[in-house]
Amino acid sequence: MKILNCPINGPRPLQEFHFGGELRPNPLDRKDGADADWADYVFNRDGEPGVKREWWYHIPSGTWFIAERDNVTDQFQRTYLYGAEQTDG
Amino acid sequence: MPYRLLKYALHKDHPEPRMFRAPERLKEEYDAVIIGGGGHGLGAAYYLAKEHGITSVAVLEKGYIGGGGTGRNTAIVRSNYLTPEGARFYQESVDLFRDLSREFNFNLFYSERGHFTLAHSPASLNTQRWRAEVNKHLGIDSEVVDRAFIKKTVPEIDLDAGGHQAPIYGALYHPPGAIARHDAVAWGYARGADQRGAEIHQQTAVTGVEVRDGEVAGVHTDKGFIKTRKVLSAVAGWTTSITRMVGLRTPLVIHPLQALVTEPLKPWLNSIVVSASLHLYMSQSSRGELVAGASLDPYELISMRSTLDFAEGMSAGMLDLFPFLGDVKILRQWAGLCDMTPDFSPIMGTTPIKGFYIDAGWGTWGFKATPVSGKTMAWTMANDHDHELIKAFNLSRFGRFQLVGEKGAASVGH
Amino acid sequence: MDRRLPPREGEWIDRSQPVEFRFEGQSLAGFAGDVLSSALWAHDVRLQGRSFKYHRPRGLYSLAGHDANVIVEDGRRTNMRGDLLPITDGLDVYSVNTSGGLQRDRWRIMERFDRFLPVGFYYKAFHTPRWLFPHYENQMRQVAGLGRVHPGNAAVETPKDYAFCDLLVVGAGPAGLAGAIAAAEQGLKVLLVDEQPHPGGSLNWQWSGNPAAQEQFGGMLEQVRAHDNIELRCGTQAAGAYNDYWIALVDDRRLTKLRAKAMLVATGCFEQPAVFQNNDLPGVMLASAAQRLLQLYAVKPFDRAVVVAANSDGYRAALDLHGAGVEIAAIADLRHDGEPTGLAQNAADAGIEILAGCAIAEAVPSGGKARIQAAAVCPLEKDGSLRTGSLRRIECDGIAMSVGWSPNVGLAYQAGGRFRYAEHVAQLVPSSLPDGLFVSGRANGRFELHDQIADGRRAGLCAAAHLGRFDGNLPDSPQHQASPPSHPYPIFSNNGKKNFVDLDEDLHLADFKNAHQEGYDNIELVKRFTTVGMGPSQGKLSNSNAIRILARLNGASINETGTTTSRPFYQPVRISHLAGRRFHPQRRTPLDGWHRQHGAEMMHAGAWMRPEFYTTSGSTRDECILAEAKNVREHVGLIDVGTLGKILVCGPDAARFLEHIYTGRFEKQKVGRLRYGVACDETGVIIEDGVIARLAEDRFYVSATSSGAAVFYREMQRWALIFGMKVTLINATGHLAAMNLAGPKSREVLAGLTDADLSPDAFPYVGVKEATVAGARAIVMRVGFVGELGYEIHVPASQGWHVWTSLMEAGRPHNIRPFGVEAQRLLRLEKGHLIVGQDTDALTHPFEADVAWAIGKDKPFFIGSRSLDIVKQQSLDRKLVGLSFPAHRSGPLPQECCLIIHEGEIVGRITSIAPASTLGHPIAMAFLRPDLANVGAKVTIRTTDGRTADAEVAAMPFYDPDGARQK
Repeated sequence: MKILNCPINGPRPLQEFHFGGELRPNPLDRKDGADADWADYVFNRDGEPGVKREWWYHIPSGTWFIAERDNVTDQFQRTYLYGAEQTDG
Repeated sequence: MPYRLLKYALHKDHPEPRMFRAPERLKEEYDAVIIGGGGHGLGAAYYLAKEHGITSVAVLEKGYIGGGGTGRNTAIVRSNYLTPEGARFYQESVDLFRDLSREFNFNLFYSERGHFTLAHSPASLNTQRWRAEVNKHLGIDSEVVDRAFIKKTVPEIDLDAGGHQAPIYGALYHPPGAIARHDAVAWGYARGADQRGAEIHQQTAVTGVEVRDGEVAGVHTDKGFIKTRKVLSAVAGWTTSITRMVGLRTPLVIHPLQALVTEPLKPWLNSIVVSASLHLYMSQSSRGELVAGASLDPYELISMRSTLDFAEGMSAGMLDLFPFLGDVKILRQWAGLCDMTPDFSPIMGTTPIKGFYIDAGWGTWGFKATPVSGKTMAWTMANDHDHELIKAFNLSRFGRFQLVGEKGAASVGH
Repeated sequence: MDRRLPPREGEWIDRSQPVEFRFEGQSLAGFAGDVLSSALWAHDVRLQGRSFKYHRPRGLYSLAGHDANVIVEDGRRTNMRGDLLPITDGLDVYSVNTSGGLQRDRWRIMERFDRFLPVGFYYKAFHTPRWLFPHYENQMRQVAGLGRVHPGNAAVETPKDYAFCDLLVVGAGPAGLAGAIAAAEQGLKVLLVDEQPHPGGSLNWQWSGNPAAQEQFGGMLEQVRAHDNIELRCGTQAAGAYNDYWIALVDDRRLTKLRAKAMLVATGCFEQPAVFQNNDLPGVMLASAAQRLLQLYAVKPFDRAVVVAANSDGYRAALDLHGAGVEIAAIADLRHDGEPTGLAQNAADAGIEILAGCAIAEAVPSGGKARIQAAAVCPLEKDGSLRTGSLRRIECDGIAMSVGWSPNVGLAYQAGGRFRYAEHVAQLVPSSLPDGLFVSGRANGRFELHDQIADGRRAGLCAAAHLGRFDGNLPDSPQHQASPPSHPYPIFSNNGKKNFVDLDEDLHLADFKNAHQEGYDNIELVKRFTTVGMGPSQGKLSNSNAIRILARLNGASINETGTTTSRPFYQPVRISHLAGRRFHPQRRTPLDGWHRQHGAEMMHAGAWMRPEFYTTSGSTRDECILAEAKNVREHVGLIDVGTLGKILVCGPDAARFLEHIYTGRFEKQKVGRLRYGVACDETGVIIEDGVIARLAEDRFYVSATSSGAAVFYREMQRWALIFGMKVTLINATGHLAAMNLAGPKSREVLAGLTDADLSPDAFPYVGVKEATVAGARAIVMRVGFVGELGYEIHVPASQGWHVWTSLMEAGRPHNIRPFGVEAQRLLRLEKGHLIVGQDTDALTHPFEADVAWAIGKDKPFFIGSRSLDIVKQQSLDRKLVGLSFPAHRSGPLPQECCLIIHEGEIVGRITSIAPASTLGHPIAMAFLRPDLANVGAKVTIRTTDGRTADAEVAAMPFYDPDGARQK
């Protein structure tokens, strides 16, 4: 089982985490666009191979954070709290 | 001993030709290029040649044929889907499957075992009833059955799941549910496509798709450029790599799905048993192994690694249903890739790019759709518009908020 | 005949502990420490199993669990390997997969049909006529499969264990011991595991005649045992390596999940067989097996043997056997130049005839094929083919094969290691290893004992350096210098068949040629078509030769041909080990015990247990449910709603936040008032509903569905971050007990227990108060889910029982009765309240569910709003409506999810139905095509038995449409 470094709780086994999908724009910034753009925002995903920014949630402590992960090698590269992109996890 | 086997005894040399040629090099141009040498891609090549007379076709496979989802699934075929669109589509697949061994003259071991989807709550039983009623309306053999029927058909099952889990309330029973030799489906289509003129190029990776003015112009491969005006992407778990090449956005996300197999056992389990609550489906292969698969892995990954969590969870579920299996040993575990859509229905047909056709979104249900996908995608490529059976599955449905509700009732228990 | 030898130094058997066991009904004796195969061979029982397809006689082959020749069952346990199964008193086993016993196995006739059964024969026949296939398949299933299962076996609950270490060393042979010591000396906590019952690996059997080696062995073992940093576990296989060095360790008793920081794979090699005719028969075995038999179990493998060798190990084996009294008739050395070391002279000195440049073309069977009587030795051409004109028959009862090795590196592969074929050892060696993974010893291409030890030490220090515990110079370890220990192509065909490449699957050389001819020319296709490596031993003895064969057929190098991947498990693992004790957490409300004491029929509701209804003697389930519901309508009832999600939303942005989460308005909601809320996902699909109580300007108390609460809370937390709002969310679901007191008498029941003013003016419908109830601090809400005057009371979990029993006591004069989930479902259906997940599905939006009224007017945004703007423009294709059935009717009633049919088409579906209601007739909720959904319209529903039932579209609520009773 993988180990994931929660920015609050430190390295913990992956079983303690919930995957929350890719980091997407704030809907408030998208809601005024065309219908087609909204549908693209709602449904389409960046499912390509590569390093992704993703939401992860530490279940026991209720902590959401962002992880940068290569979805091919499954290597976590960085983790940090939402809005704290500058900080290394 | 069947007569067909006599020839092996009577010939000194092995009396079988190559199942398909190994073309030395790519031609400059094809009428159609199919990316992906799995069952779907090979099926499309087969039906393009057989039903539409299009034989200048190259199937490009970066590995070996049938090495992706085709060879990694748990080989279950069924048509007991929830939506009329889904059920009709998969029923056509079942009808094709039933005759495929004869059509190929190649035994796919298509074995109708009967398929139970166990319901561990009244809410889940309702969903099964929904499926059964839709199925029956369309002439598909499905019925909700009670505990007594399950016990009679699978006497070894523990209907109370060992007391560890909610008991089994009933099940959706689908008598035509079958298993088949999955690799053989790819081989059969490959042989049939090859005999009709299509070329199969293994170890040939696509590196780009040339689109000019919104139309497909050709395909770049690691063995050179080929001109074509029709390209089918039939690569399931690798779809996002291909759609990236043409700038097409899709809802697809890729998750692994894991499976395992036990040591061979004498036959005891005839039915296919599925429990969504236990995240488990299992059957016994004709070789005697128990083949079991799980639900999707919980996070996106384009890699086929195994996890211990899976083997542990699957084992627990197997013992919940069949407590006497504790001493049986698991031989091997593996994983495949699932390209998931939000509505658990495939993405098929034409795209905004003229000449670029997509056959994706195969999630956990790709194998069972192999024949019908090949057939309808071939039709769609030949006619340049969506076959009736797949209209509902066009990529554009998301833009129109017209999803296909195969995801079903969120079976929640209040 | 007894083949047991006098006691030998280092033997694993305990002669002071005789063991009686039975095999195929025959009583036999052995010693503690014997495995089944060694004990049988000691009695000269050579026929120990039958092969999978042809039912050929098979005996011991690797004696290390690397083959699947001998598989037995005992009527309870199944598929046990003869060379791994310790004998114990009373053991009573039979060979699997025979008909009529091992000796007389009727299925041995299969071999006569071998010409009819080429590779993949089952793809070529049996499929026409189609109706006959099930018959053929059934016959094939009967003859396939190995052991039987025993459905009477009780469930075994096997606890699992966890372990942690800095460095896992797999394999306690020379390299593993040296590596463990080197790492431990640098301060690493080392776990050293070995699958065998004793440490030492090949030192136990391969170097046993070498006093210097034995002294080194003893020294290392002493160091390992004395070192505080090393834990040695024998009888433990590292069954699989997973991400971040999460390793499955399996012993006889349990699965141990190990978290290591690094791993050293010192697992040695699998000795590989030569391929020649009848190379599978009892008496033909790996030289290492003969050595193991001799040294570990003190059993004389043969009386007179031919050794086929392609390396020094073969000469050592020949000398070991010779030393134990086995007559070595000859060494057939595949190498034209013979053995370059002094071992050749040693063999010659022992009087052993050495036939350089010779192979064995055939093992000549005795009658019944349960033994061999001779080896047909044949000179080799320079190109490695047999010069079959010059066969020489050498009488013998055994053939020991020492032609090469294949590294046992599946674990390293699983951990991310990659391998390439290296000519200097003619085997795979690591080409790249990820951080923290080390390979040493024979698995790393080091074959000389001192090289293995040096390489182990190097790897141990590298692991220490990797973990920051060693910063000295890392030693190099010498590459293998001598001739390659493996022959590049130990595969010989004299045009006969039955030269086996895969013994598990009964695949012989011709099968590979034929598969290749048919176009299965890629290693993965070969594997899938021939099933090579798919048997119980997973290709340990076949993959290497299969790749060599395929490479030659393709005219390609081994590296071009590739290797197959390695998947867990190393050896098959019991399902009970992996399943463990099967914990399935279950949630119970604080009142759970009360319900059970009072006759509740409990039901699973997601993770929770809830009372479905309370049994009353003499009444059926349906009668009980209806009586509970009527009691609420007429008197008063009490239901445990503690499973509801309970979320506190606090902070200056709380109201604005809720306006984002729910479709409705909350900014202007008064303190002390409730509102109903519907929440959607971003696509506009309904995901939740509940009641939102405003306790203070900046404090809301939100209820959520029992099964959706955890996810809803999680998503609210995320949205709070995305919206950047000042809110604090607290999931109080488990902190609080909750109960709903409902019915016309509820005010009277509660009045005596609370300090709150319950008068309708002071505490109106949809009011909320923080008050005390039966002395407990409570949140009390005037809700109307069941359509009567009612109070939902939330108190600290610890007070729940007290408050509940106080209410029941206070309600006694008013005919209070507890009611369960089913009565509540009925009552809410009468009120036309939907249940998310039952009356909605994964695509239902508020317009379809007829809750568009819950969407706030002119709201700029809520989650899903933009999608609903789009959906709203489209025509509705279904709508949630009420259906009413006549009170006096005949024929079946539909069940939930039965379909509404109109002109042969599906136009709707029942989502909820009550066969009996307090209204006196059945009612239902259903999705229906809007053009058919006018009140009063007739609909036809198909029941599950194919008949039909008629109903009428009815206005909802069915009961008390003005809501007068709940006010």
